[in-house]
Parts: sequence; C-alpha cells; structure tokens
Amino acid sequence: MEYIIKNGTVYDPTNKVDGEKMDICVKDGRIVESVSNNATVLDANNKIVMPGGVDSHSHIAGAKVNTGRTLRPEDSKKDIWNREGLRKGSGFSVPSTYKTGYQYSGMGYTTVIEAAMPPLIARHTHEEFIDLPQIDKAAMPLFGNNWMVLEYLKAGDLNMCAAYVAWLLKATRGFAIKIVNPGGTEAWGWGKNVHGLDDEIPYFGITPRDIVRGLAQVNEMLGLPHSIHVHPNNLGHPGNWETTLETMECVKDIKAKPKFGKRDTVYYNTHLQFHSYGGTSWKDCVSKGVEMAEYVNKNDHLMVDIGQITLDETTTMTADGPMEYDLHMTNGLKWANCDVELETGSGVVPFIYSPKGPVYSLQWAIGLDLFLHANSDKVILTTDHPNAGPFIRYPRVIAWLISEEYRKDWIENRVHKWAAQKSHITDTDREYTMYEIAKITRANTSKVLGLSDDRGHLGLGARADIAIYDIDPEEKNGKKIEKAFLEASYAFKDGEIVVKDGNVVKEVFGNTIYVDAKINEELEAELMKDLTVRFKKYYSVNIENYPVQEAYANQWEPINIDATEIK
Amino acid sequence: MKEVIFTVNAEIDVPVELDSLLPKNLQDMGIEEIKKIQLPQGNKKISVDELCDVVVNENDDGDATLKVIINGSSMKLKRIGEKMDGGEIIVNGDAGMYVGAEMKSGKITVNGNAECWVGQNLKGGEIVINGNAKDYVGSAYRGDWRGMNGGKITINGNVGTEIGEYMKKGLIVINGNCKIMPGVHQNGGIIMLNGEVEGRAGGEMLKGAIVINGPLKSKLPSFEYEGIVEDPLIKLTKKDEGTQIKGAYYKYIGDFVNNKPKGQLYLSVEHNDPVY
Repeated sequence: MEYIIKNGTVYDPTNKVDGEKMDICVKDGRIVESVSNNATVLDANNKIVMPGGVDSHSHIAGAKVNTGRTLRPEDSKKDIWNREGLRKGSGFSVPSTYKTGYQYSGMGYTTVIEAAMPPLIARHTHEEFIDLPQIDKAAMPLFGNNWMVLEYLKAGDLNMCAAYVAWLLKATRGFAIKIVNPGGTEAWGWGKNVHGLDDEIPYFGITPRDIVRGLAQVNEMLGLPHSIHVHPNNLGHPGNWETTLETMECVKDIKAKPKFGKRDTVYYNTHLQFHSYGGTSWKDCVSKGVEMAEYVNKNDHLMVDIGQITLDETTTMTADGPMEYDLHMTNGLKWANCDVELETGSGVVPFIYSPKGPVYSLQWAIGLDLFLHANSDKVILTTDHPNAGPFIRYPRVIAWLISEEYRKDWIENRVHKWAAQKSHITDTDREYTMYEIAKITRANTSKVLGLSDDRGHLGLGARADIAIYDIDPEEKNGKKIEKAFLEASYAFKDGEIVVKDGNVVKEVFGNTIYVDAKINEELEAELMKDLTVRFKKYYSVNIENYPVQEAYANQWEPINIDATEIK
Repeated sequence: MKEVIFTVNAEIDVPVELDSLLPKNLQDMGIEEIKKIQLPQGNKKISVDELCDVVVNENDDGDATLKVIINGSSMKLKRIGEKMDGGEIIVNGDAGMYVGAEMKSGKITVNGNAECWVGQNLKGGEIVINGNAKDYVGSAYRGDWRGMNGGKITINGNVGTEIGEYMKKGLIVINGNCKIMPGVHQNGGIIMLNGEVEGRAGGEMLKGAIVINGPLKSKLPSFEYEGIVEDPLIKLTKKDEGTQIKGAYYKYIGDFVNNKPKGQLYLSVEHNDPVY
C-alpha cells in the first residue's frame, strides 16, 4: 500500500526538520522518496506530522501489572473500553492488554518498552505482549538484585557477569539491563533495605555502587543497544537527590560502545522526579529539580526520563519491594508483595495523588521543574505508567509543557500552594515547542534505546510509524492540546493506517524486540556449568524449562550482537 | 407529576439491565421514545417495548417529580435505579442485583425481594425493600475501600452476609434476621439490626456503630466491653449531634485487630447474655 501525506507541518528532530511543510511518502511499510500515482493521498494541511511515539519506560505487561489488575477490581470498573469491532477492555491505571494497545495507538505511539520484567516470569510478560496490539514492544529484565550478578560482581568476574547477562537476555528475550534499587530488593528479603550508594548488601557484602558500575561496564563490554536503565536507591524519600547524584556520577568515566544504535550515553536514570527530593522529611522537603536538571545538562554520559506526577488515582508497582512497603505504611491501603526466587521482588499499592495534597502537588512541581530547566535533548516524557500516572495523561503533560497559561491555571487554581512555594516552577516562562515535544517523545527515546536506525524519525528508509495531530503548532489552549494529542488524527504502523480521528480502525500486532548477544563458546560452556549447578540447587524450575520459546511472540525482532571477543 | 408505568410482559431468561430507565432520563421523553430505549441483555440488546407495556400518566399538579413504576418485576431485572439522581422508583415484584447501586438521591421502594448488592456504594437517597435481600446490602464495590457514603437503606425482611462492608456514612436498618459479618471493615455510619444476627458483627471495623436489638449468636472476641448503657446517644464524630436509641445495651468497642479502633457495638440486654 502506498500513501502520500501532503502538506503536513513536519517535526522530525532526528533529521533536524522543525516545522517544515513537506510531503511524506510511504511504501511497503517504509518511508520512501517518492510513490507512484496510485498512492492514496492524505491531506495533512494545518496538521502536524511526527514520527510514531516511542515510550522508553512504561509498565504494560507482566507479573506486577497483572497483580495490579487482580488487586484492583475497582480500578477496572473506573474505565470501560467498549468500541464496536474491537476487543472490550477495562482499567484506568492498569488497563487490560488490548485496551493498552488501542489507547497507545490512539495517542500516536508505536513502540513501547516494558520497563521491568522479572526474568523467571518472562514467559508471562511475553504472553501478554502477544495480546497487546498496535505497538512494537520489548521488555527489560531485572538485573540489579540478581544473585548470579551479585556473586559474579562480588568475585570481580566481569566476563562471567557479561556472559550471564547475554544468556539471560536471550533466555528471557529481554532487551536491556534494568536495575531497580540495586541491592535493596535483595536486602528486603532479609527484612532490610539499602539507602546510600555505599551501604553493604546483606550476605553478598558488595554495595549498590559495585552493582551499578559493574553492570554499566558489562553493558559496554557487550555493546548493547540501550545503556543500563537505572531506578536508583532511596526512591521517594526526602533528601534522596544526593544519592541520585552520586549514582549518576559513579559511572561517568565509562565510555559508551554500542554495537547497535547510536546512543552516546552509558546511564539512563528513569523517573527522575521520584529521585529529586531535598530536605530531610516531608515537612521540609523541597524541589531539587533545578539542580538535577543542571547536572543532566552539564553531563554527556546520561539521559533521564521524568516520571511526571499527573495527580490522578493510580496504582503504583515496582520491583522496589521495600519502597512499596513504605508506601503502604504511608497510605494504609491494600498492597501486594512478591519475592521472585533468586532474581528480584516487587510490590503493588494503589495511590491517590490528590491535587489538594501538599506533598503530591510538590511532586508534580518537581517533575515540571525538571522538564522546564533541562535541555530538551536530555529528557524524555514519561509518567512511569502507572506509577506517577497513567500513560493516557501524556497529552496533559504535553499541554503543561507547551502552555504556560495552562500550567499557571493549575498552579493557581488546582494544586496545593506547596507546588509554587517549594519549587521553581513559577520562576520560568519556558514553553516547549512542538519540535521539543517531538524530541522528548520520539527522537530522544529512540536514540537512547538504540532504535533510532529505523524508529523515531521520518528519514528515508525509516519504518512508516507516523502520527498526525490536528493542532496548530502555536496553540496554547491546554484543553485543545490535550485533545489533539489524545486522539491522533491518523496513526500509521508499519505503513498502514491504524488510527483515524482517535479511533482504532485496523488491528495489527507488532513485533517483540529482543537482544541476541552471541558470546564466546568456551565462556558460555563455563557459564552453563555454573548455572546448571545453581538451578539445581536454588531454582524451582529446571534450566531447560527456563528460556522463553519461539512461540511466545506474534513476531520476533532480534537485535543481533557479536560479543564473542569477551573471554 | 409524571408517572411512567412499565408492566413486564415478556418471558425472559437472560437478565436485562435497567439502569437507563432512571426518572431523570425519562423526564423529557415521550412514550414512543421510551419504548425504543435499548436495554442490555447479556451480549445483546432488547428494546423496552419488547420487554414490557408502557403507560405514561401526566397531570399538571405542579409537582416535578417523576415516578417510575415497574410492575411484574423479577430477579431477572438488574441494576434498577443504578446511579439514580432524584425522582422515585417503585418496583412491584422482585428486584435483581444492584438495585439502587451508586444512587445519589431519590427513593426506591421494592415491594418484593431483592438480590445481592442492594445500594452498593450508595451516596444518598433512600432504598426500602419490603421483602428479603441477599448479601452485600450497602457494601463497597469489590476491591474498593470506600463504601456507602450516605443515604438510608431499610430492609424489612432478612438479609444475607457482609452487609455494610466498608460503610463510611449513612444508615442501614434491617428489620429481619442477618447472616454473618454485618459491618465488616465498617468505617462510619450506623447499622441497626432488629432481628437475629448469626455472628461476627463488625469484623475489622474501625469507626461507626452497629446496634443489635435481637440476639447475636456469636460475638467476636476482639471487642472490648465498656459497660451497660441506657438509651445511648450514638456520636460518630466530634461534630456529630448524635443518634438517640432507646433501650438498655451492652456496649463494646472494636475491632481490636486494628490499631486504635473506634467502632461501637451495642447488644440489647434483653436478648443477649452478658458476655465480656
């Protein structure tokens, strides 16, 4: 099928296209220079055209998401999806699989990464991916509390650690190294936690610093497309900004050596908003958003996503088990907690970020502080769905960024006065341009994930993942911006129109992307010898039953990496 | 005053949901329009005139209330008066699940029995069931910790288990007998039980009051005895003017499986043994 999208105002930061009126030609799922006369013409005059959205951090499938659904039938009732010709679904903060795919697609998103996959439960994550239509997806297995990783790092054996990481990525069909509260979730198994970067992890005797540095080195040894993806220690605690800075600083000397993709960063700090709190308690807590943003601007080795609070009732879920316990003790609501054998843990707690609450309003302002003071080349828009808010609020976040007037309305009329008092949100009149919005939702994400070869841009040869929004680039009305980005005028997935006027018109099933890193045979043999013993001794499953089989995807999209030089 | 009378004439097997037949929705509709309303029935739809005969009576007495009367109702008619906001519904016959669920104001009278979930998450208004009701009268939706938040439910017959679960405000009066766990997780409001109660009243309650005027067959051990009170005035908050009840009661505070509970449990002296 051929298309020509005529006269759209195009924003494609990867190719430095900033609001130019141009035509985009689509043929056989790719963007091409020209098409034949048979091409369907789509008039995009007075509309803006962007690459399909790429979300680098969202929780859309797997064990904790499903636990969230089970734990919260009342959330399921809150939002019912019932459109003619499509699968029914429900759930506001933890929507069911089909609804998740449809809604992402409706917003013009085409690739979404599940940010935390317990390796042992990889099969479940992939099973949900099979039922997640409209988008390409990938999942990041958790490594930061994994016994094998901790032991190899304790022994200082980076080569074996690298071999294990490569094997696990392949076995679980995972995409990148995710680290959550390094050492802390393992300590939680002992009823403890770690707070500082140099706290000792019970039994293993190493520190979070060793884990972050070790895995960052392993990541570059293997040359993975994405850098380490880190949720540092001490999440959500006042005063944690120092821990966050230390964590960012500790990998500064490591150089990026990706064998796939174009990233130049070695560290990705996710949901930075939750890690930018000053003060010593919630009484004297202040925003350190500006300080963090300045650090991010000054340093080239890292990228961050924000995890913007959207002031909704939502469901928090993370592999950071001890943190979820803290949260449950704070709000007294129901919770679920889980230990995943040798690998990780997790917790789920419902949460109400009320705009009337002083702390929640401050958290909201900290996220915006980060956005408004950071260089738009270095930040990424997320809500850490559903932790800080559901992904269907991205359009609202975009509206807060684009329109100072809309932001002001919220500061003056909707949120608690702490938002303005304890942050720098009112010090700036910065308004994001459409070009910058395209950066923080497309260009930056695809680059940092190592997927910018054919995603997140509209250059020749790129996948024809395209979003068209019916909005004037100069629009400042918050409600209009929100509506336009919530209901894309058109969305293309691999060259086919899947959304029209915000409604899904075609159901497609995307690829599951994973990394297949080939390691040296001798090293692999040594690793398998070691792993066989461990599986027999500790795991409840046999090593033969552990890997995710071929059948667990609609279509696999492997990223092949040759790491055989590691010996 | 406008009166819309539905008389069920169809034999139905799969339950029909009537939540669109609210007085407010029917206010400005003509009879033909009402007859064409589509009602969900399982995975299909049925129109009102396939289900029942419709009669509309109107007079100009200046009364703006709209009265909906459902004759020949059965347990197969679900969600009667769900999310109702004003007006009155009279059900002659039985009412299926969720009668008056999430209702804000108005009045529903059922001259028959009711299925489970009468007045689920009730916010205001009044529900009267003249027959029996099953489980979860005035309870919260599954998983929710924010239950009934106002209004009054009266059941003149017997009820099932777990009534008033997570109740926050309002009043539930049961004139018949009650099965286990009335007021489980109760967090406010008053439950008056005038018949026999099977047991476990107020399990995990934090606030609110349960008054039992009949015998309670087994009391939870995690309630602390306070003494005998005559004609107590139940105050639920500092600002609460209080609700006066008549008679002599053993008063307990609980449920002490929680920290610092303020739940009040009153057992009538006349029908209960002094157990403390």
